[in-house]
Amino acid sequence: MTTAPPAKLKRAVGQGAPLGPAAVLLLVFLFGPILWSVYAAFTNASLSGAGAAASHFVGLANFKKAFAADGFYNSVVLTLVFTLISAIIGQNALGLMLALWMRKSLRFVRALGGAVVIGAWVLPEVVAGYLWYAFLAKDGSLNHVLSGLGLGTQDWLFSLPIVAVSIANIWRGTAFSMLVYSAALSDIPLEIEEAAQVDGASGWRRLVSITLPMIRRSIMTNLMLITLQTLSVFGLIFTMTRGGPGTKSQTLPLYMYEQAFSFGNLGYGTAIAIMLLLVGAVFSLIYLRALDVDTR
Amino acid sequence: MTATNAGQTAQTARVSPTRPRPRTHTTHVRGRLAALILANVGVLAVAAIFVIPLLWVLLASVNRTAGLTVSLPDHWTLDNFRAVLTPETTYRPMLNGVILCGGAALLTIICATLAGYALSRFKTRYKRPFLLTILFSTGLPITAIMVPVYGLFVQLNLIDTISGTMLFMAATGLPFAIWLMKNFMDSVPVTLEEAAWTDGASRMKTLWYVILPLVWPGISVVAIFTFVGMWGNFFVPFVLLLSPDKLPASVSIYTFFSQYGQVAYGQLAAYSLLYSGPVVILFLFLSRKLGGAFAFGGAVKG
Amino acid sequence: MHLGLGLGLGLTACSGSSSGGNTSGGNATIKVAYQQFGEGKVMANFLAGVKTEFEKANPGKKIQLLPLVASENDYYTKLALMLRSPSTTPDVVYEDTFLINSDIKASYLKPLDSYLAKWPAWGQFVDTAKGAAKAADGKTYGVPDGTDTRGLWYNKHIFAKAGLPANWQPKTWVDVLTAARQIKAKVPGVTPLNIYASKAAGEATSMQGFEMLLYGTPNQLYDAKSSKWVVGSKGFLDALGMVKTVFGEKLTPSPQDATDANLGNTISQQWLPQDKIGIALDGSWVNNTWQSTGPKPWPQWSSVMGEAAMPTQNGEAPGKVSLSGGWTWAISNKSANADLAWKFISELQTEKNAANYAVAGTQIAVRKDVAADPTYLKANSETPVFTDVVKVTQYRPAYPEYPQISNQIQVAMESVMTGQQTPKQAQQVYDEAVKGIVGPDKTTTQ
Repeated sequence: MTTAPPAKLKRAVGQGAPLGPAAVLLLVFLFGPILWSVYAAFTNASLSGAGAAASHFVGLANFKKAFAADGFYNSVVLTLVFTLISAIIGQNALGLMLALWMRKSLRFVRALGGAVVIGAWVLPEVVAGYLWYAFLAKDGSLNHVLSGLGLGTQDWLFSLPIVAVSIANIWRGTAFSMLVYSAALSDIPLEIEEAAQVDGASGWRRLVSITLPMIRRSIMTNLMLITLQTLSVFGLIFTMTRGGPGTKSQTLPLYMYEQAFSFGNLGYGTAIAIMLLLVGAVFSLIYLRALDVDTR
Repeated sequence: MTATNAGQTAQTARVSPTRPRPRTHTTHVRGRLAALILANVGVLAVAAIFVIPLLWVLLASVNRTAGLTVSLPDHWTLDNFRAVLTPETTYRPMLNGVILCGGAALLTIICATLAGYALSRFKTRYKRPFLLTILFSTGLPITAIMVPVYGLFVQLNLIDTISGTMLFMAATGLPFAIWLMKNFMDSVPVTLEEAAWTDGASRMKTLWYVILPLVWPGISVVAIFTFVGMWGNFFVPFVLLLSPDKLPASVSIYTFFSQYGQVAYGQLAAYSLLYSGPVVILFLFLSRKLGGAFAFGGAVKG
Repeated sequence: MHLGLGLGLGLTACSGSSSGGNTSGGNATIKVAYQQFGEGKVMANFLAGVKTEFEKANPGKKIQLLPLVASENDYYTKLALMLRSPSTTPDVVYEDTFLINSDIKASYLKPLDSYLAKWPAWGQFVDTAKGAAKAADGKTYGVPDGTDTRGLWYNKHIFAKAGLPANWQPKTWVDVLTAARQIKAKVPGVTPLNIYASKAAGEATSMQGFEMLLYGTPNQLYDAKSSKWVVGSKGFLDALGMVKTVFGEKLTPSPQDATDANLGNTISQQWLPQDKIGIALDGSWVNNTWQSTGPKPWPQWSSVMGEAAMPTQNGEAPGKVSLSGGWTWAISNKSANADLAWKFISELQTEKNAANYAVAGTQIAVRKDVAADPTYLKANSETPVFTDVVKVTQYRPAYPEYPQISNQIQVAMESVMTGQQTPKQAQQVYDEAVKGIVGPDKTTTQ
């Protein structure tokens, strides 16, 4: 089946043509500015002040500044904690649990649960931020409930800010994992599980040995997606704590915002953004490696 | 549920002499009942916990002297809603938002469908790295690139135009949308298209008449994810639009913050409810068409 | 490397055609950008009124009002972006004295000295106000339209219960401490005093909190004579010491409350009207909250609330301390209609208009003629102390580094407030940070 080059080329073009509109949009509006930002990370460009009138190339100075700054390490640690608690553990586990339970639930329970969890997800970020701020405030609902149950109350946003925002993010994002796992679980034939049950396998054993391995691919995909989304969360934390008290909840996106826009250090801010991307890359590679190992 | 399924399992049961003897019918039923109850209670408990934070916005919106604390209003009133339901505060920004986000979402859907189709059918070893790069770019906070985008827009004379902002928002939604659509396209067998080609249909016609009807659930998924993301986006329209009458609702929420940080909480709550309206409506509409909200997950499970 | 730079920043700086037509004769439009915050229509209404007058008096010349709906930081960001390019730049901009120097350094603004020299009204401006928008190069870049001051609000109900006088005027820091201690002893369940000291409160901590203390000592934040930032001063240490004392003796809100970003609202909207706090070191605008159109209408406020000027540390001259923020009208360097823009500004600042705005916006007057205006006097008679203290008020050293230095002040305040560091330690951290921000050669001791 020898095809003359022109026909092959023609087919390639034909196949590739539909990519056109998307490619144009992506190149012009996304990758172009990203390239500029990468360049800016090596300058002292700023929004106002001397760096705005004329910026200079400063090489790796911004990156060196980051590694020398306490604020940067603080942000990295907080970002990792936030991502671990709210995405990798929180949303993931809760979403899976809900999906598993909902398989067995009554229709109306499933509808009600789904509605509430999804409602939390579609609510705009700023609104969610304010809700949780009110919920966790000293005389907010959580403390009312706790004191009603006879447990101690705390000012959650003050004592455990990163935990507080993590929980708010779990609330906000669980719906996504729940939907993904629901769909994945629906692919598993019921007979397999029931066979195992008849064999005497306990619920937990069934879950770990049979169910989870079957949806392995979805787990990895889900983890990757929610990790990337969680790394760039900004509005929720900003509204709840502004990154405080002090810098106790200042994750990388907030640190970047403070540097780039509050202080006008664009060059430095974009350097931070690049490092945020690198963190995301590391996570992605880990997940992909895990997935590859499994599919072999 | 328990009775009928018990019968089925009896048929598929495998008995082996070395395994512990299978549980009897009654333990089966008891075990399953316990599991069922746990499942239902679990879901309800989670739902109850999830609903509590929502209480603030509901109560504060009808409270004349609302603060940040969640409390039953001393003075129930619809004044907060009345105060915010003006063309300037609510109607126009919401309309702007619908046009902006709706248009951008539509654009994203079109481009992503085409691109997803191409990526699905295109045979090249660069596909996986390309897709991964696309996916990975969703981790970038868009605030980071807004300054060069502003400069670009000035250059292209797109500043302060709804169309320009729409193009940019569509572009930012593309990575995730393309990835989703490609996954959906993958599940459509090529044989269907080949059948259409042998009948003489052109590529585009095939796409329109054969493929699209099969992937419209995927399109719905892209629609909801993209629209929800754009609807809450403040920074992009804030930077790219200058005239106040072009601003969407996500920006005008700041009208509730006054000069020295004094916030009118009751109105903020009322406005938040209204502001959340369109996304909830869209979601309900799409999930009804898809036959339940849970179909949305199918796109992403990979 | 400038090639690549041109590709990038050139995109923003030198593109597009400029807006508006020529200045002489013919038609022209000038764009006026300002911050639209809250439901407040004060500025919008004011500008609309002046716009009508102006367009009537100058046929063919149009004013386009550009309210930028945003909170503080975002407004500055937006403005900076717009000012970068001739095609998007407004002609007249409303600049906060806080950031004007940053924009001046970035060459965004036009020096106004040539206009000011020919403007009779400029002589009416109080000297400190004239300096508010003066840059390091000695040129003036903005016309202030009013200002705010800071001082002590106190609740007379609580004072009565504590046995303190209804017309209280402390003379030293110790007087303030004594009053707070007396409230604590005699009126349990009430917070005696608030001084903003958290990072969450932002600039309020720097201005209403720290600088109100520091400026009452012989030391300064910035030494204008040598053009250097001051480190290691006794006044700095004493200010932090005061914070340690009041928080240590629990004369203030708990650290949990104190680090709440919404503390200001809580104090003005709840604690003061509910007799839950005795003294609040805060700004002249607080009574805005209690107007019938404000978030917490409180008709009796003027009989319940008293005002006192914040004293200097030991009563040193001038005896009272106040800091002022305030906004100015400036002209963009890239404007194509600078002369027309100036004409509009001078229209905004006729005595009548200036007085009208000062009243509507509850501003403190920075002009002698406005200060003597009957409508102004009547409106501000409700806050005589805050109005009077403008005589001694000072502006911040609003240089481009100030936002970062202010951030360090807040860090120091918060670490002392929470007890994490002693004042000495906090000062050391501050000194190091300042040297890092401006370079060691731009610091000095006093």
